[in-house]
Amino acid sequence: MIDIITMLATHWISIIGIVIGGICIAVGVHFVPVGGAPAAMAQATGIGTGTVQLAAGSGLTGLLAAGYMYKTLSAAGAVGISEVILICATGAVGAMIMMTTTMIVGNWVYIYGVGVPPASAKVEYDPITKNSQAPYVAPGTVGQGMPTVCFVSGTIGGLLGGLGGSLVYCMLMWVNGDPAISSIFAIGVFLVNAVLPSYNIQGTIEGFHDPKFKRVPKAIVACFIASLLCGIIAVMIPGTAMFGGI
Amino acid sequence: MEPAMGMGLVALMGAAATVAGCSEDLESDIGSQSNPNSQVQLAAQVGYPHRIFNKAISGEPPSNAMYCAVGAGVAMMLLNSVSTSPLLAIAVGAFVAALLNGVFSTTAYMGRNASQTRFNQYVYLDVLRNHVLGIMGHAYVTTFCIVGLSYVMWNQNLIGHPFPFPVIAMIWGLAVGAIGSSTGDVHYGAEREFQDFKFGAGLNAADSGNITRYAEAGLRSSIDNAWFCSKFGGPVTGIAFGMTVFLDNWRSTAFQGWTAVVAGTIIVILIIIYNRYLELYARKNYGPYPEYSGDVEA
Repeated sequence: MIDIITMLATHWISIIGIVIGGICIAVGVHFVPVGGAPAAMAQATGIGTGTVQLAAGSGLTGLLAAGYMYKTLSAAGAVGISEVILICATGAVGAMIMMTTTMIVGNWVYIYGVGVPPASAKVEYDPITKNSQAPYVAPGTVGQGMPTVCFVSGTIGGLLGGLGGSLVYCMLMWVNGDPAISSIFAIGVFLVNAVLPSYNIQGTIEGFHDPKFKRVPKAIVACFIASLLCGIIAVMIPGTAMFGGI
Repeated sequence: MEPAMGMGLVALMGAAATVAGCSEDLESDIGSQSNPNSQVQLAAQVGYPHRIFNKAISGEPPSNAMYCAVGAGVAMMLLNSVSTSPLLAIAVGAFVAALLNGVFSTTAYMGRNASQTRFNQYVYLDVLRNHVLGIMGHAYVTTFCIVGLSYVMWNQNLIGHPFPFPVIAMIWGLAVGAIGSSTGDVHYGAEREFQDFKFGAGLNAADSGNITRYAEAGLRSSIDNAWFCSKFGGPVTGIAFGMTVFLDNWRSTAFQGWTAVVAGTIIVILIIIYNRYLELYARKNYGPYPEYSGDVEA
């Protein structure tokens, strides 16, 4: 029991980092414009896949970039706060690249393959470009494709997802120094914080201009609690290095 | 590692990812997995029984993550225990993953169609025989390419990524599934499944489930769907995944530290600008829908 308290007291900063990372992921998921199954039939605005699937796909691609950067920086010396910032930035950019390439190719399919202009059904005018949206929404649908506002929102979602995942990974590496355990646990924390907000989203969300986005505070509270629990468990898991392994 | 060698490896990984993305999308089109499958599932229930394959085992990202992790796990076991050559180990790993895919495809098709007998939707054994090998073949190509590129990333003499081999393969499997589900599947779901309807609009909610069931000659099968999607949906999925793998690895190979971050940010900004250009192109060329009767000006 005393060992557990000592572990928690020693790694309290990692727990805080995991909680911040978890909240970044949760907020990031709300930014990603997902249309679910209807979007796959060009029946709703957004990317034609599930919330968790795309957020995880982009965030974990960022995690790969962050993991490599962590290894490079740790070979040069101890990983401090400034290195963690660089690693998180690398992860965030990796996730943004995945998200933007997916969205641009998705728009190719909508525009050239299905023959529809990207349009949002949640707003009459695009908040960024001020272009009208309603006349371009196909009859019997609730929009299609990714107009500029959704595209920018998705990019921000990728940024936050990649940042959060990378931060969780760095915090775990500080605790156990084992990339294998840290990567698996970071994926786990990522999925927990991507699944919980999907109850807010209920299948489809267009981005920060969608009325559902106002539900973010509820997700922050839920993910704060979930990430805190994950963080407490995570700092008690030793890596192979602690057992004298490689 | 020498810069030229590093760039060569990045190019190789990008090429493997392009093939993987294309075959992943075609595999999901033949099997009718992922979101467009909701219409295949609904068709019989609203009075349109069909001969389209039906295997929504799970979302594409988790299923591909599993195949790739299994393939990499088998390959790693062969590499470590019997010192097999990497190419053979990856080939055997991908074969085991393809077998797993075959088991899931068979049980999914039989289970789903057997449960729809009351809607006159039957289990067609010839559909099962004709499609499962095609699905497994595409799954093999996808797994082989992703396990191969993950091996290049993991091998300490090549790129030397710190994550375990199966975890790298799992993450890329998840990514290829997410990309395939977001890009190529739209071509299948919004266009090929509803070719009877006029080109230039998404599916009207009133027509849900009314999928195209007749081919140029006879009844349409999912092999026909893969033929159609291989002209556009499959290749663009490959480009999307190839671009993701190539651009992400290129910026971290060609540049170091914060310069790599800045290079990545510039790529992202350029893609956002290109999207705006695409949006304007579509709005100008297609124009507003004539059925629109609201008061917002186009």
